[in-house]
Amino acid sequence: MLTSRAHNPRVALSAGQPDALREELLVRAPATARRPRHSATLRQEAWLAYGLLTPTLLVIVFLVAYPFASAIYLSLQDKMVGAPGRFVALDNYLDLLRDEVFLRTAWNSVLYTAVAIALKFALGLTMALVLDQERRVNNFFRTLLFVPWAVPVVIVALNWRWIFDDLSGLLNNFLITFHLTSDIISWLSDPRLAMGCVIAVVVWSGTPFYSMTFLAGLQAIPKELYEAAEIDGASVVQQFFFVTVPRLRTIFLTTVMLSTIWTATNLQFVLILTRGGPASRTEIFPHLAYTTALGARRLGMGAAVSLVFFPLLVVLIIVLTRRMLRQADE
Amino acid sequence: MHGMHRRDVLKLAGAAGVAATGPWWRVGRSQAQRAKKLVFWHLPNFTPLADQLQKEQVYEFAAKHAGLKESEVEYAVVAGEQANAKLAASIEAGNPPDVIRLYESNVQFYGAQGHLIDLTDQVNKMRREPKGIFESSMAAVLYKGRALGVPLAVNPWPVHARLDLLEQAKVEYPKTWDEFIEVSKKIQSPPRLFAFGMCLGLVEDTTDNVMNLLWCYGGKMVESDNKTVVMNSAANVAGVKTIEAMFKTHKIIPQGAISWDNSGNNKAYQSRQAAFVMNPSSIYAYLDSNDKDLQKRTGLFPVPAGPKGTVNQIDTWSYGAFKKNPYPDIAKGLIEYFMQPANYDRIIQSTGGRWVPVYKRLFDSPFWREKPEFKHFINMAETGVPVSYAGSPTAAAGEVLNTHVIPKMIQRVLVDNWEAAKALEECDKRINEIYARHNKA
Amino acid sequence: MPRTRSGSRRLLKWIGNVLLVLLLVWTLVPFYWMIVTSLKPDREIYGFEATLYPHQPTLVGYARVFTTTPFLKYVRNSAIIAGANTLASLLFGCLGAYALARLRFPGRALIARGLVVSYLVPPALLFIPLFAVLSVLRLIDTHQGLILTYFSFSVPFSTWLLMGYFHSVPLELEEAALVDGCGRLGTLFRIILPMSLPALAVVAFFAFTQSWNEFLYANVFVNSVEVRTITTGLTLFIVEDVFFWGPMMGAAFLSALPPLVVYLIFQRWVVKGLTLGAVKG
Repeated sequence: MLTSRAHNPRVALSAGQPDALREELLVRAPATARRPRHSATLRQEAWLAYGLLTPTLLVIVFLVAYPFASAIYLSLQDKMVGAPGRFVALDNYLDLLRDEVFLRTAWNSVLYTAVAIALKFALGLTMALVLDQERRVNNFFRTLLFVPWAVPVVIVALNWRWIFDDLSGLLNNFLITFHLTSDIISWLSDPRLAMGCVIAVVVWSGTPFYSMTFLAGLQAIPKELYEAAEIDGASVVQQFFFVTVPRLRTIFLTTVMLSTIWTATNLQFVLILTRGGPASRTEIFPHLAYTTALGARRLGMGAAVSLVFFPLLVVLIIVLTRRMLRQADE
Repeated sequence: MHGMHRRDVLKLAGAAGVAATGPWWRVGRSQAQRAKKLVFWHLPNFTPLADQLQKEQVYEFAAKHAGLKESEVEYAVVAGEQANAKLAASIEAGNPPDVIRLYESNVQFYGAQGHLIDLTDQVNKMRREPKGIFESSMAAVLYKGRALGVPLAVNPWPVHARLDLLEQAKVEYPKTWDEFIEVSKKIQSPPRLFAFGMCLGLVEDTTDNVMNLLWCYGGKMVESDNKTVVMNSAANVAGVKTIEAMFKTHKIIPQGAISWDNSGNNKAYQSRQAAFVMNPSSIYAYLDSNDKDLQKRTGLFPVPAGPKGTVNQIDTWSYGAFKKNPYPDIAKGLIEYFMQPANYDRIIQSTGGRWVPVYKRLFDSPFWREKPEFKHFINMAETGVPVSYAGSPTAAAGEVLNTHVIPKMIQRVLVDNWEAAKALEECDKRINEIYARHNKA
Repeated sequence: MPRTRSGSRRLLKWIGNVLLVLLLVWTLVPFYWMIVTSLKPDREIYGFEATLYPHQPTLVGYARVFTTTPFLKYVRNSAIIAGANTLASLLFGCLGAYALARLRFPGRALIARGLVVSYLVPPALLFIPLFAVLSVLRLIDTHQGLILTYFSFSVPFSTWLLMGYFHSVPLELEEAALVDGCGRLGTLFRIILPMSLPALAVVAFFAFTQSWNEFLYANVFVNSVEVRTITTGLTLFIVEDVFFWGPMMGAAFLSALPPLVVYLIFQRWVVKGLTLGAVKG
């Protein structure tokens, strides 16, 4: 199977080129040169592609792009619910940038998203690695760890609010019953603790997404790769970095990207747990947008608040996907 | 091979296209909004009995008085929180419901935009009933002299008080806020039981609680011209300082109140963790159905007096009818039917004290007369003021309420440790911005 | 984790088990609280001192779920909507993901990014124009209408996620198959999909649970009992400023069961080592 030393996967592995291994292991398949790319084939490919993408594109155009465009247009208007709008170009955005609340909300939003994503990633990867281990009734454990995702976000938030409750909550009563604290801790009322509590709930709720997608990716890695690496003397940690991580790169990117967007735009947790308090410590853009659009009924301004981070997120997406799309072009 | 590709593609594209447009085929079968002649959105009442009665009344009216078939009536239940979102979406889409119960500021908001049908005749008819209606309810429905809603309940915000704790400490219900603080210190046993469950979270109840206290100190949010904002006044500073002292110095308010939502004070009282709570009688009504023991020990009182006396709050609910409706007379007829005293009284009584009747004469019924707890209600309903005092509940006031400007102010003082004056200055500026924006439009 | 023959393998296993226990505790304690609340009588829920376990367990909360609401109807509706959405998302997702992962065509990068960008506008803002769209199509208060709005987040998500997984399927296998005379779509169905079963299962679960638990659209676009889903039903346990915690948590627990059961049963499809069978044989 192995043709020459130069093609020896172990050599390639120790040289730190993970992709080489992938290629080599499939040497059984006839070596095919890159397919000739003449125009007829390309055109057919294009037609096929468009055909396959038709339903997705229809959904995107009518159910996403149109409402999205409508939201952008809305953000350029001074519009209240029920009244006609008046075009004001970027006035909403300018007003927002001048508002002292803006900086605080921006900082909170970035902190909240970054910390939550980092924790979810770490916890999710740990869970996936643990679940990937062989053990009896693993299926059962996997299902149990899936539980947070099975419960509607609204209920998760309400439940945790109850857990954090000063007097009737699980946390305080547990701590007091077991003499771990003597005083009641006001979890959601303490300006130093509130953000951490909200992030904890976000992490609890969102980790299964990471763990399950990573797990699926892990399960697709052939055992043989690890065996080969082990034979070569790679330690467990090295195996992780040279076999596991490269294979999961795309999945990492995909998951983190989706999750970043969801986390950054989710308002349910803040809405139910703290409503942006105490004293704006947990105010984030989606929540501000909600109170503006539906509380104050200022749709134009509400749209502007939700879209103010849009350029930043688009740049992020372009940068991250460039890598992914380029890989596929190889 | 190439041929297979093309055929494959076409087949697949065809199948995909058909699948994607599938839902449209069945469009004909789905409910077309305007085949209905009467669309009523029901916000759940406090008790299932009241819900049931209201539903019956809708269908009774439709069948007997409007000659409608059951299929021509749409009765939709919209849970309170979502009602605002749904209403906003439906108005934007051009098909609001025909009749719906509206909170104070909603009447003014939609009324000012011209969406609501003029119901002045009906209200005048109600006023002509013997003993008339509580005129205090008119502030919520009048817009430029016309009534754009029909008031259906005048809800005072009494202080729910633990009579047994007062008795135990051998004290009377306090008459002034200073007494209140002293009494609180005597009857509470922190950390499990705090005396004053004042709502301090970023929710509507906080605005109500805070303003109510400030009024007793002579302060207010805006003058009756609905333009001059007077948040930044010495009286308000005095009131805010009192709240600050209650929270920080005397510690009669629980820390957790900072993160309460509208149900926080309810829960505190119901769990016997707070002794005094300012809230509409939803707590009382809950106890009536679920905890008679605590109900027996609960008294309902007006707020204690400040240096400028006692001022109580009421909030008025109304029925509104949207103009965008090809059958306006049916809508008006339904509201009139609801408000016929006989029909109306049945629902009032089934809410267990949650709805205070807008007809004065209905207070003479045994349901209200025989309960000592309600003895102050009639006075509170008569003299109560809306949260926007001294202005009326205009759209601007609604925005101040819904964006929690005043709760943010009080949290500046209690969490960020700002000076009361500084916090009120910031608050005044915000409210001015809001009023300016609305008054300009 | 691979099987190594050294003693470090046992250490690894031990660490794994300890972590598993910790993770289970972290994950399940809040769920425990939810269940326990559903089994407490009001008296205990609103008790002066909170109880860590129900002192007087009762099924009254659950009884109220079924007697005061048409809960089974809600379940039926949720099932129809979640099921339809999942199937459609999988189908559209597979087709679209294959195109984006394997084919070259103008606009590919744009469409791929467009998929992700489409998530940037939160549902809290999208629902108003979507309401208008549904109104015009007369799809308010219908199953089809709600399913359609769910496509708006499920289809891009499925496509994107599957695209990520398809990337990790070795190119050479397909190229070999193509050379052997299998059509493009043949490779999709015969090579890629079988190797992506774990991914398909995961995408299906997520699409299903996203629809099952979706809240905002279900609330705004649907009124009548005939079409209501479970999440909408849950909000009926909040009447203004009073929460009926017992029945609400009971209903929440019941509604969490179907996704869990489905997940447990279909775990079998998420099987390791499925992938290289094709190559070695």
